[in-house]
Amino acid sequence: MLLALTWRNLWRRPQRTLLSMAAIALVNALLVLALSFMVGVYGTMKETTLRIFDGYAQFQPDGWGDDPSLDRDIGQPQVLLERARRLSGVTTASPRVNAFAILAHGDRSYGAAVVGVEPAIEGRISSIPGAIREGRYLAASDSDTAILGELLARNLGLKVGDRVTLLGAGREQASAADVLTVVGLYRTGIPDLDRSILEMPLGRAQDDFGMQGLVTTIALAGPSLDGVNRQLPALRAMALSAGVSVLDWSALEPGLDEQIKLKYASALQFYFTLVAVVAFITLNTLLMSVLERTREFGVLLALGMRPGQIGTMVWLELLLMSALGCVAGVAAGAAVTFWLAQQGVAIPGLDKIAPQFGMPSRLYPSLTPFSVLTAPTAILVCMLIGGLAPFARVMRLKPADAVRTAR
Amino acid sequence: MRFSVGIALAGWLIGTGVPAAVAPAQPDVEGLLRRAFDNYRATTSQNQIAMTIHRAAWERRMQLTAQTRGTEDALVRFTAPAQEAGSATLKLGSETWLFNPKLNQVIKLPGSMLARSWMGSDFTYEDLAKSESVIDDFTHSLGPGRTEGGHGIWTVVCTPKPGAAVVWGRIDIDVRDDGVIAGETFFDQDLKPARRMSVDRIAPLGGRNYPVSMTMHPSDEPASWTRVETSSARFNIALPSSLFTLSSLQNPRS
Repeated sequence: MLLALTWRNLWRRPQRTLLSMAAIALVNALLVLALSFMVGVYGTMKETTLRIFDGYAQFQPDGWGDDPSLDRDIGQPQVLLERARRLSGVTTASPRVNAFAILAHGDRSYGAAVVGVEPAIEGRISSIPGAIREGRYLAASDSDTAILGELLARNLGLKVGDRVTLLGAGREQASAADVLTVVGLYRTGIPDLDRSILEMPLGRAQDDFGMQGLVTTIALAGPSLDGVNRQLPALRAMALSAGVSVLDWSALEPGLDEQIKLKYASALQFYFTLVAVVAFITLNTLLMSVLERTREFGVLLALGMRPGQIGTMVWLELLLMSALGCVAGVAAGAAVTFWLAQQGVAIPGLDKIAPQFGMPSRLYPSLTPFSVLTAPTAILVCMLIGGLAPFARVMRLKPADAVRTAR
Repeated sequence: MRFSVGIALAGWLIGTGVPAAVAPAQPDVEGLLRRAFDNYRATTSQNQIAMTIHRAAWERRMQLTAQTRGTEDALVRFTAPAQEAGSATLKLGSETWLFNPKLNQVIKLPGSMLARSWMGSDFTYEDLAKSESVIDDFTHSLGPGRTEGGHGIWTVVCTPKPGAAVVWGRIDIDVRDDGVIAGETFFDQDLKPARRMSVDRIAPLGGRNYPVSMTMHPSDEPASWTRVETSSARFNIALPSSLFTLSSLQNPRS
């Protein structure tokens, strides 16, 4: 009965109701679209950044992050590799030896990270093999070859086919020295990466750095970051039994994690201000209507309706209106988002700057429970609480005074 | 300037806190530091040194010959173990070159490597390359003095000059009254001790008292240290000027 009354009341002033609903719908649609964009863009940013080199998670020796010394290692990497690859959601596990050395060519020399990799596996985890601009990537049959970043090669005056000298320290700080033939140069578009990494075949690196049969890190990847994240508990258990650590994406790229959290926080702050403004406008409208209807409420009271019932009725009017607005807004927002998610959004000029940030040149919003449900939840909670004001107002009505109020 | 006067004053106050009989006569701080460096390096020097690198899981012992000329030039060549024999480091002025016999190649040390470990020890390339930095880039004041084994020992407090490109926030050098270095403490920019070089033994060597055994202890890794023990030393000898060249780095003449 109350609900029927509420419904009827809503359409006694259709213009006002529709306007309020439109405001709510609009803010919902906007927020669904905006949040979906954030989720999509930052999701892509995370995945592309991690796919360049880190992988979605990594096994590392305990304490490696503070002191990446070759005295720390993952013993028996084969066991961990096989167990990790058996998890669903984790399709690739790439063993690496991460060392540091002076690279020299002629009279030039630079310090760089030297990474021993399995050429056949690395391509499934890192985008560097696909970013070769000159020459080729390492091959499984290679022994004394290397690929390095374009900027590093330029600094050293190296071309494909040249020999690069490597001098560093291996396990137990023994001298590690080798001469390798450059077979390829890569360009990720990220200057820091393009001037800091040399990759060489894993076996050769293990020999050079005294790491026979040992690796320092195992990079993990799968079809999606979420898929790997879901396996983190299993990966942790594996790491524990092998006496090593597992690092999730935020531990591998803490700067990126921090940056994204900051962006979310500032965006959500703005969006919630928007929600609050719309909520206040709607509440104001409702409070006006309650004041206008004092006489009507007086009559209802005189007819024997309890103040609580009237209050609830007014509250329901607000919630019903908000809910309808939310449904309409979310539906519209989701529809537009869904369409954009299929098309992708090309932003003029992005194709030039995007690669620097490891991004594809089209943006794809992503509909997730978070991006769809945040806005309506925020609005309904605001209304649920804000609606108590008109409710209280109705509760204070005295039948005799109310009836006497002039319209 | 006022700052260093303040430290000197503080040092004097602390110094006078000890009974007068114990406190040695106050020396000139710059002269003291210069004497310490002269004692350690002389005009030229040729030392046989054993370097022990100790880690929680392993220990390594290496033999090396170190030759210095003036304050700027040094040539260090490893003689043992076999794996490292022939490896050498040449420092000329502010530049450093490395020689590796397996590569048979001289490599210039990139500037970005200066702060990294030298041959895996607790010394950095910077320790080699910037040995004079403590004199040129710091202001010096006299800290507290004490008496140990019949010798007065003064602490020289070295504070970086404004704008000087140095990694340390402060260096305290203990110098014995006969000009022998008796210890060195390096403080980071927050003035927390980062590492301490202790002098384990001072003995007559090459006609002078010399810190024949010194150990570098990084503060954050209690299980790690590097010890350098000098077994023989010759000072102020004639060294051919061709010794401190790239070609001698690559082609040592016995």
